[in-house]
Amino acid sequence: MEFPISMVIVRRVKPLPYWIVPILALVVGLVISMMILYVMSGGQTTPYDVLLSIYYGFTNLGLLAKTFALLVIVGIGLLVSFKGAIWNIGGEGQFYMGVLLAAWVALFTGFAFNELIGKTTMILMALLAGAFWALLAALPRAYLNIDEVPVTLMMNYIAYYIIDYIIMARWRERQYGYYRTETIPETTKFQLIEGTTLSIELLLLMITIFVLVWLMFKYTSLGLRIRVLSSNPNLLRSSGISVHLTILMALTISGMIIGMAGAAYLGSVSHNLSYPIEEKTPGYGYAGILVAWLSMLELIGVPIAAYIIGALHTAGINIQIAGAGGAAVVNVFIGSILLTYAVLITISEYKIRIIVKKR
Amino acid sequence: MATQPESSNTFFSSPSKETPIIKLEGITKSFPGVKALDNINLEIYRGTVHALLGENGAGKSTLVKILYGIYTPDKGQIYIDGKPVRIASPMDAIKLGIVMVSQSPVIIDRLTVEENIVLGLEKFNMFAPTRRVRSKIIEVSKTVGVKIDTTTEVWKLSYTQKQLVEIVRGLLLGARVLLLDEAITYLPLEEKSRFYKFIRQFANEGGTVIIITHKIPEAMDVADYITVLRRGKVVGTVPVKNTSIEEIRKMMFGEKSSEITYERLPPGNPGEVLLQIEDLWVKGDFGDYAVRGTSLKVRKGEVVGIAGVAGNGQKELIQAVMRLRHVDKGKIIFENVDITHKTTHFLRLNGVGYIPDLPAKYGVSIENTILENIAIVPTFSSEIINWKRIRALALKMIKEYEVKTPGPETPVKFLSGGNIMKVLVARELTAATKMLVAYNPTRALDEATAIKVRKIIKSKVINENIAALIASEDLDEIFQLSDTIVVMNSGKIVGVFPAEKAKREEVEHLMVM
Ligand SMILES: Nc1ncnc2c1ncn2[C@@H]1O[C@H](COP(=O)(O)OP(=O)(O)OP(=O)(O)O)[C@@H](O)[C@H]1O
Ligand SMILES: [Mg+2]
Repeated sequence: MEFPISMVIVRRVKPLPYWIVPILALVVGLVISMMILYVMSGGQTTPYDVLLSIYYGFTNLGLLAKTFALLVIVGIGLLVSFKGAIWNIGGEGQFYMGVLLAAWVALFTGFAFNELIGKTTMILMALLAGAFWALLAALPRAYLNIDEVPVTLMMNYIAYYIIDYIIMARWRERQYGYYRTETIPETTKFQLIEGTTLSIELLLLMITIFVLVWLMFKYTSLGLRIRVLSSNPNLLRSSGISVHLTILMALTISGMIIGMAGAAYLGSVSHNLSYPIEEKTPGYGYAGILVAWLSMLELIGVPIAAYIIGALHTAGINIQIAGAGGAAVVNVFIGSILLTYAVLITISEYKIRIIVKKR
Repeated sequence: MATQPESSNTFFSSPSKETPIIKLEGITKSFPGVKALDNINLEIYRGTVHALLGENGAGKSTLVKILYGIYTPDKGQIYIDGKPVRIASPMDAIKLGIVMVSQSPVIIDRLTVEENIVLGLEKFNMFAPTRRVRSKIIEVSKTVGVKIDTTTEVWKLSYTQKQLVEIVRGLLLGARVLLLDEAITYLPLEEKSRFYKFIRQFANEGGTVIIITHKIPEAMDVADYITVLRRGKVVGTVPVKNTSIEEIRKMMFGEKSSEITYERLPPGNPGEVLLQIEDLWVKGDFGDYAVRGTSLKVRKGEVVGIAGVAGNGQKELIQAVMRLRHVDKGKIIFENVDITHKTTHFLRLNGVGYIPDLPAKYGVSIENTILENIAIVPTFSSEIINWKRIRALALKMIKEYEVKTPGPETPVKFLSGGNIMKVLVARELTAATKMLVAYNPTRALDEATAIKVRKIIKSKVINENIAALIASEDLDEIFQLSDTIVVMNSGKIVGVFPAEKAKREEVEHLMVM
């Protein structure tokens, strides 16, 4: 049977200027958020309140700092795969697998006896965990051409369930009976910079990753290959470069970077794992997607986008504390902007035509 | 009787007092770093076929894109039927009866031929009954001699058939002016001449055609007038019956035109066998065998030219040699190593250059810069890219091949069609230190550049003792370049001739037999 109506998507001959989309997405997304919040709160949260919170979010740098740094790392991680047109939606899973393995190092191995060794091992194991989790989606993508979007997305839930199970059934602390693990030893806690929520280790990690990824895209064949992967994989083939391997590397390096963010989160923000893990963070893996998109896939744009999204996150928490809406307020912002962005980017590059077939 | 650009206005003496269907007045268009069109004045008359010629980057495509509303001119005025118009988009152009048929067909693969055409019409609130669409397609395909079932989905069509669908859509849109930008350059010879017949008929019935091609004889065959562009200026317009190939060449290339020759290039000195193909069987895109038991030898210091009509297995053979297509049976031996199961990467690291068919699709990445398009090939960079070295290499290539570009950092998509090809050819000839494998290595290049490229290939074969395996649909090219001519037909080699003994009629006969 054939449908009498079909939809065709055609690429525009003249796409809109590219910087319009992120700016417009932000503005339109925020207006939509204000309307949603106004209705949700039964008229209590006015657009004025929202603007005030946003102002608070953008100016409260100390509060913003940790979210900013984590978002920069996750954003860069996603950018690595997005640049190759590999859509890693699995940042959440890779992040939490990083958290899990870092917690394992801190709680159950002997490495915690020494600060430097402990922290380094945490970061290394988190890196491997993120890479491994991404690799599980990268292998079928590279060699069987199975779409990475649903696979990486599903892997997030698998990660949630594994970690929740481990917290509840294996690592649960005995003393008070809470649904959480013991707190990691002092030697493995990252050192906060006075007056902020940011730790020195996290800051260093962010800067190092930024510089390394910048070097990778500027000076290595791998970086160039990942970029050409998105613009013309046929050229990779005729040049004698393995498309499979390039896909594999793009996605695995992406997971590797995001996994490290997980270690930094454990070391400087949470200090333990608690059940249910998926509700304990603002969802860095998903917010990171927005960061990567708003950066227009330019490395320099990532910190800017992370600042904006981090500020909106703080603003959301502020509104939440003020009493409007449920726990989901933060996600109203993120969701509205991401959705607006997706719609805008689609209509800026493509025209959608509905065709009624006549027989 | 070419004249200086300054006097080009007075040069054109209109054949009658009738109003030109298209008149361009002082059209100027600049892109960052280049003046693509500089004060163009041109008149085009109803019922004529008007050829636009000029070297690569002369501004031909820019000119027709302006007529089709893809670019808008910085200065100047377009008149249609004597009335000033502004063409801001292809929509505007089509409403004025101007339709462009592009090199890469813009039709939607998932829909059937009919649906595509109906869709094209509905955009303009024109509703053609399916019956009319069908009869028009049948009418046009009869003239052109290509059959199309209107209910098949487009992805199943051949390149020729897709081009035809585009033209039919244009005609049903009421096209009075057809713009063909190298649109039929890629067609096999025989279909090409049928297309030309159709174009002639369209003009005889009052239509107007502007056609861009690099083949001067073809332009002389089909066109009434030829306008030559050079560096964004009109060199002159001449009626075909009062001119000669030599004159047109002179207008196009100036002094360089004397270097154009189709004489056989000096012979190579074949030595030991470098590439050996034994009883090769390779499947095509649709699953049946495209190469059927081919055996072939290429020696160092020798050009082996594969002659054949497009679609007789040459493409698949070349791809199999480059290890880009699976070999079902048989063997490929390179430098005494069996490479049947080795990778393209292995060949690249062993000094093999490769010029694929459809350069923009397989040979370059148009979003990336010239530098990046060079650095991506493993021959030129290891894990860490030495940009200084790549840059020096790029500048050398740009100079030697006269690539028209503001600089090596320019994204390839901003170059003209022929200049994109030059980047590819320059890169691959530099990479070919032991062997060159190529399919239509001079396609989209202007005549002077094409001959220059052939000379460079031949000099590498003679002086650097490399081997070359070159398939080409252009027999002139095969005869000019080859030391050994191999004819391929239906996936088999049906004739092997030492170039000095090969006869054109015999080769042509074997090609279509
Ligand atoms: N979109 C663009 N951006 C920047 N430069 C452009 C653009 N399009 C064309 N050019 C430049 O304008 C000049 C003329 O290009 P055009 O494509 O018209 O040449 P052409 O005569 O069609 O050449 P060819 O025979 O190689 O197709 C070239 O130097 C080209 O680099
Ligand atoms: Mg052109």
